[in-house]
Amino acid sequence: MTIVREPLLRPRTSVVGGVALALAAHLGMRVTVVRFWLIVTALAGGAGLLLYLWLWALVPLVPARVDEATAPRRSAPVAALLVGLGAVAAIVCFSTVRSEDETASGAILALMALSGLAVVWTLLLDRTDPGRPSRYGLWVRGVASVSFLLVGLVTLLSRPSALNAVLGVAALVCGIAVVVAPRVVTLWAELQASQTARVREVQRAEIAAHLHDSVLQTLALIQNRAGASSEVARIARAQERELRDWLFTGSAPVDTDLASELRELAASIELDYAVRIDVVAVGTSHSTSSALVAAAREAMLNAARHAGGEVSVYLESTESATDVFVRDRGPGLVLADVPDDRLGIRESIIGRMSRAGGSATVKPGASGSGTEVHLHLEVTS
Amino acid sequence: MTTVVIVDDHSIFRSGLRADLDDTVSVLGEAATVEEAVALIASLEPQVVLLDVHLPDGSGADVITRSAALLDRVRFLALSVSDSAEDVVGVIRAGARGYITKGSSGAEVSRAVGAVASGDAVFSPRLAGFVLDAFGAVAGEQAASDTEIDRLSAREQEVMRLIARGYAYKEVATELFISIKTVETHVSAVLRKLQLSSRHELTAWALERKLL
Repeated sequence: MTIVREPLLRPRTSVVGGVALALAAHLGMRVTVVRFWLIVTALAGGAGLLLYLWLWALVPLVPARVDEATAPRRSAPVAALLVGLGAVAAIVCFSTVRSEDETASGAILALMALSGLAVVWTLLLDRTDPGRPSRYGLWVRGVASVSFLLVGLVTLLSRPSALNAVLGVAALVCGIAVVVAPRVVTLWAELQASQTARVREVQRAEIAAHLHDSVLQTLALIQNRAGASSEVARIARAQERELRDWLFTGSAPVDTDLASELRELAASIELDYAVRIDVVAVGTSHSTSSALVAAAREAMLNAARHAGGEVSVYLESTESATDVFVRDRGPGLVLADVPDDRLGIRESIIGRMSRAGGSATVKPGASGSGTEVHLHLEVTS
Repeated sequence: MTTVVIVDDHSIFRSGLRADLDDTVSVLGEAATVEEAVALIASLEPQVVLLDVHLPDGSGADVITRSAALLDRVRFLALSVSDSAEDVVGVIRAGARGYITKGSSGAEVSRAVGAVASGDAVFSPRLAGFVLDAFGAVAGEQAASDTEIDRLSAREQEVMRLIARGYAYKEVATELFISIKTVETHVSAVLRKLQLSSRHELTAWALERKLL
């Protein structure tokens, strides 16, 4: 019998690094048992600590779900504990610096290790942790800096041994460095980010220029040679539009105004029918009315089904009203001739628009060829 | 028979277009760069230049500005791979008499060449839409007199609206009960305004692209 094990992954909400939780889930043991053995082996020569650090570095995090914050949460205030231990080391140093040089050196080194680690911890891990109060890092670094500076001053003012004098100076330097560190880290991160952004921008521009010169031209040529409403031309046109959207709108947020909605509709209808739909939009469309969009879709579908070829869609949004014209060049239709059971025009276009408080007219296109559908909707404020 | 020079950096596109044009058009020569184009246009003086908007050593607008001395004899028709206004308004303002997209069929291009050669402007629905936007027609702005250059007259707006709705000049004429000649006059007037107006909608983005 094979045992199905959970994958070895660190959860995003944890006490310190999530290693014990990950191990417990993977091995099917209780988490307290795993923690107990980790602590025992850590005390017995440090093997548990090494194992912990090794797993922390190598075991990946659980992949984030979409609706979840990506930064891991750690509930244990490790930095605060470390800086507290550092402060204890500082007190040991104060009481021994005049009498026992060696204990004092040890205390200073311990302070440096503990408070230094605490500062690094706040800068690297707590900074992105959403569970930390905003001034937490500032407090930890403040306490670290003050203990460094006090230890440095007290040591230097109490006739220290040569080694302790050096350590005292080092402690002063650390105290100042802690104050400067966050700024340096921020600057560095900003520099990195702006450099990455620039490189990406340059690369994008290069790709865009290249594709514009080659692929878009070729797609245009294909459409030109294949005839406007042939299968090949439609595919080429759809490809061109996709590529163009990707190239020039880039990562801009998708705005759902009426114009872009009509364009999307046109694009999807073009894929299904032998038709070329040109959407021209004028003015800034404020709100999208679902009835208007649905009626326009129906009109475009009708044009695609019964007329094909070239269809023109014109959208005009003014302060007071929105007008949509859908025009085809097909055989045309007379509304009175349409049988009563055909719901396309009567229900989906005219009925829908009047229910939404607008109007729709269907009439033969200019000079008697094709059909033009006019949708009109007043803007209600 | 209209004489034409094709300026485009893609040889496949040039030969494809050349093969597609009908027999009302005779192609005198082809050029691939701004330098070549300027020299060729000066020596051949065709009636119409079919001009790509993007060229490897500059833009279509550069070709027009450098051939400015010939503008009353040679007419320029811009060819663009896209029909986005940004691509096109630069060449129009430099002096082109219209534009068509590269996806247009040979017959459409030939017709447009004929129209431009006889002095008319070639407007696509997309360009008409852009003009309506740029001249504030949607916001209700309207020229008080025919000489005003920063706004469109009521008739010009009507014509532009119909073109934006996909009407051909002939259909616009029927719809408005005017002659085709009158429609062409209105379109040419709009083209002139598009080229000369200093409305900030037109100048702002031209400045942005260092076209002024």
